[in-house]
Amino acid sequence: MTKKTNKGYASRTAIVVALFMLWLAVIGARAGYLQIYRGPWLSNKAAVQYERELTIHGKRGAIYDRRHQAMAVSIETTSVAAYPPMVENKLQAAAKLAKALGVPKKHVEQKLASKRSFVWLKRQATPRQVNAVKKYKIKGIDFLSGHSRFYPNTTLAAQLLGFTGIDGHGLEGLEFYFDKDLKGEEYTITMLKDALGRGFETDQWVAESRAGNNLILTIDRQIQYIVENALAQAVTENEAVSGMAIVMEPQTGALLAVAHYPFFNPNTFRKYDRTLWRNRAITDPFEPGSTMKIFSAAAALENGVSNVNTIFYCENGSYALGGHTVNDTKPHGWLSLQQIIKYSSNIGTVKIIEKVGQKNYHDYLQSFGFGNRTKIDCPGESAGSLPHFRRWTRVDTAAIAFGQGVSATALQLITAACALANDGVMMRPYIVKAVTDSNGRTVRTVNHDIIRRVVSAETSRIIRRIMKTVIASGGTGERAALEGYSVCGKTGTAQKIDATGKYAKDRYVASFLGFAPAENPALAVLVVVDEPRKSLYGGLAAAPAFKQIVKETLSCLDIAPGTDVKKLRVSSRFRGSG
Amino acid sequence: MIDRRLIAYFDWWMLLLTFMIAAIGLTALYSAVNTGLTSGQSFLFTKQLIWYCVGCVVMLAAFLFNYKSYERWAHLFYLFCIGLLVAVLVAGKLGGGSKRWIVVGPFSLQPSEVVKLAVILVLAKYYAKVARAEGLYLKDLITPAVLTAIPIVLIVRQPDLGTAIVVALIAGAITVYVKIERHTLVWLVAGCALTIPLVGFFLKEYQKQRILTFLNPDRDPLGAGYHIIQSKIAIGSGMITGKGFLKGTQNTLNFLPEQHTDFIFSVLAEEWGLAGAAFVLLVFLLLITWGLQIAQRSRDPFGTILSVGVTAMIFWQVFINIGMVMGLMPVVGVTLPFISYGGSSVITMMAGAGLLLNVSMRRFLFEQ
Repeated sequence: MTKKTNKGYASRTAIVVALFMLWLAVIGARAGYLQIYRGPWLSNKAAVQYERELTIHGKRGAIYDRRHQAMAVSIETTSVAAYPPMVENKLQAAAKLAKALGVPKKHVEQKLASKRSFVWLKRQATPRQVNAVKKYKIKGIDFLSGHSRFYPNTTLAAQLLGFTGIDGHGLEGLEFYFDKDLKGEEYTITMLKDALGRGFETDQWVAESRAGNNLILTIDRQIQYIVENALAQAVTENEAVSGMAIVMEPQTGALLAVAHYPFFNPNTFRKYDRTLWRNRAITDPFEPGSTMKIFSAAAALENGVSNVNTIFYCENGSYALGGHTVNDTKPHGWLSLQQIIKYSSNIGTVKIIEKVGQKNYHDYLQSFGFGNRTKIDCPGESAGSLPHFRRWTRVDTAAIAFGQGVSATALQLITAACALANDGVMMRPYIVKAVTDSNGRTVRTVNHDIIRRVVSAETSRIIRRIMKTVIASGGTGERAALEGYSVCGKTGTAQKIDATGKYAKDRYVASFLGFAPAENPALAVLVVVDEPRKSLYGGLAAAPAFKQIVKETLSCLDIAPGTDVKKLRVSSRFRGSG
Repeated sequence: MIDRRLIAYFDWWMLLLTFMIAAIGLTALYSAVNTGLTSGQSFLFTKQLIWYCVGCVVMLAAFLFNYKSYERWAHLFYLFCIGLLVAVLVAGKLGGGSKRWIVVGPFSLQPSEVVKLAVILVLAKYYAKVARAEGLYLKDLITPAVLTAIPIVLIVRQPDLGTAIVVALIAGAITVYVKIERHTLVWLVAGCALTIPLVGFFLKEYQKQRILTFLNPDRDPLGAGYHIIQSKIAIGSGMITGKGFLKGTQNTLNFLPEQHTDFIFSVLAEEWGLAGAAFVLLVFLLLITWGLQIAQRSRDPFGTILSVGVTAMIFWQVFINIGMVMGLMPVVGVTLPFISYGGSSVITMMAGAGLLLNVSMRRFLFEQ
């Protein structure tokens, strides 16, 4: 090796080093460009790839009855999903999945063939289905847990409770009205996902989701069951279209039962006609018919134009009035106010109201809450309709006196009646008694609330005494009479308006409204049977159901029979004088 | 008969640089195989550790014996490696569409890695004899051309274009370093310029795709361009300081392809940022300049050329790998020395480092 060669090596080494340095400079510039100049943009691009926003719903609160029995609960469910790109041997996998999940094979095949990175195979699968799928150990199948709503009593109080949609939001009834309380805290987390779109559990994800609050209802599950049973029987026996019944505590306004027939099952609500979903006792007004007469009588007594024994001439069953004729089912001559109610004479009531006067009568009805919402804690409440008295013709006034030409919801009717049961003080009806958090601590309680005093205690007592005679032998509601308990009530048989806007001859709403025990009512019960075909009258179609409800409910509430036996004799005295 | 001077002249810097890069490599690999969905592959880290242990033994062997004895046995080693390459084509393991590995028990060996050393040794031996001040003539270049072409053809047949290119570049670097006579050089450059279009004719479809995709990665973002785009996103999102060890989202969430082998530099750049990437490049720069320094200090032509060859091998692989990961060059499968996962790669690099140590510590033998 000569010196010259060595020198050549040295210069070439220097060139190589220089070239390498240059390359490093290029790399460095490139790294700088990517990591500093384009860094934020590329970071964002990376985030778009790996982050997925996910909204987590906390567990929905439960709904309990007044005895803390579950009415609606949220249960853990598992949904089966797939990452199609990861599923190998798709046809075979589809066959297995279809068998395990009980869904058509074709659907699964289509889903697995999809180019999306994620597909649902079965939302809210049953544990058996989930286990069957897990057994196959198919690659690319995932199980995601969530909550679904379950109504353990199936049809019980379904219209009242309502239901939730698949996304867990309340759609109807209390589920809808108290959605804010019930629904769990909703929060968004940023989940990491991998190149195949699969999610990863992160620290935030592990955080326990916050459950919603629970509702404690005033409803009593047992009473609700009693009422639904009696109602179903009444509707089917009378071949009626539908029915509803309410049980209310007059002293507080607490609703113990709100029943509708036909039933529907909120667990599978989509299988039922949507007209069945409504809480009709609160949303649908109807013409109450003769039950209205107790308010007419109360107005007359309170107004002082009449007392119990004031007699009115009942025109022998036919009273011509401004081109119309008011009829009674049975012709009567002279009847006292008390008898008018007992025999439910339309003509008698019209005469009473003529004495009270339109304005006064209107004011009393308004005071009883007709034409105004009760402001119950349920969605979709209707105010019914009570036309202004200035627009009342003589015929209108007459009709309103016996409950036609005015409409009210079942709830309005029983709320007004409860004023008479509660010595003249009307209580606001309510259904939710307390809200508790997921640990059972009370968030808020609902106290009963006085709406107003409608009539004097004295008037109420008299009306109750009159209503007792209705149950007695010869009264329209004698089928509601109950061995050992004193009850009082009023029948109602209202003609329905048909499609042409006239009163139909053969379509009635039969109802029965009453209290028990009569002297110090623990409950007010309203039974409404829509379009009964076998027996049209409230005294026949609705009174037996009322009797059954009262009898079973009183024993359920531990109100012993016999406490009012003495007062039963009082009622017989009334009968004697009637 | 250990000469005391062997210890006195021992190149501690070289050893330190080697271990430093090895440590960086193991750290990056730990992250690449221990996070996200690849956590099932954490055994790869253990395997790499074992390979490094084997690599240390090989390095020890490479510098304990006088490299002059390697000069004597260079041809035999070369023939052995060619034999391995033929064996791969006959009985190699298929993987990713190519036959690159020979399975030996639980491990698979990649002869195309080892053959780089054989080519370096055999060329160094040849050039050490024919080198002269005025440079090499065409007739001097025929033997080295054949010696280089045989392994290249065999490697291209696997096919493994990246390694073939690296072998060619190493040979080219050595030849240019030894010096080619000026006229011959001009003719050669002209000849190569004419050959390039012909090469394109023989490239496989996927190799053409890669070049086209390199020119415009967005042409096929989910297919061939995916590697480059994901790599750029990973590196870019690391920004200056990086996302932190084991925190690289593109790595852990499997967006990065081949994250433990060819694209390990993106893992590194994502998690350690520009600072980390620059540091790694700096260490490589030190290693390569130190290799050239060793070549420069050796008074023995074989030692010099051998050192240049080994340094060129490291240089070209760093050059191509990082260029590819940064999106500056087409995607060709070339490992990042000392950092990428792979037993054959580790052993080859450790042997290379051993040879550099060998030349460095024996430089006194030729001093007067």
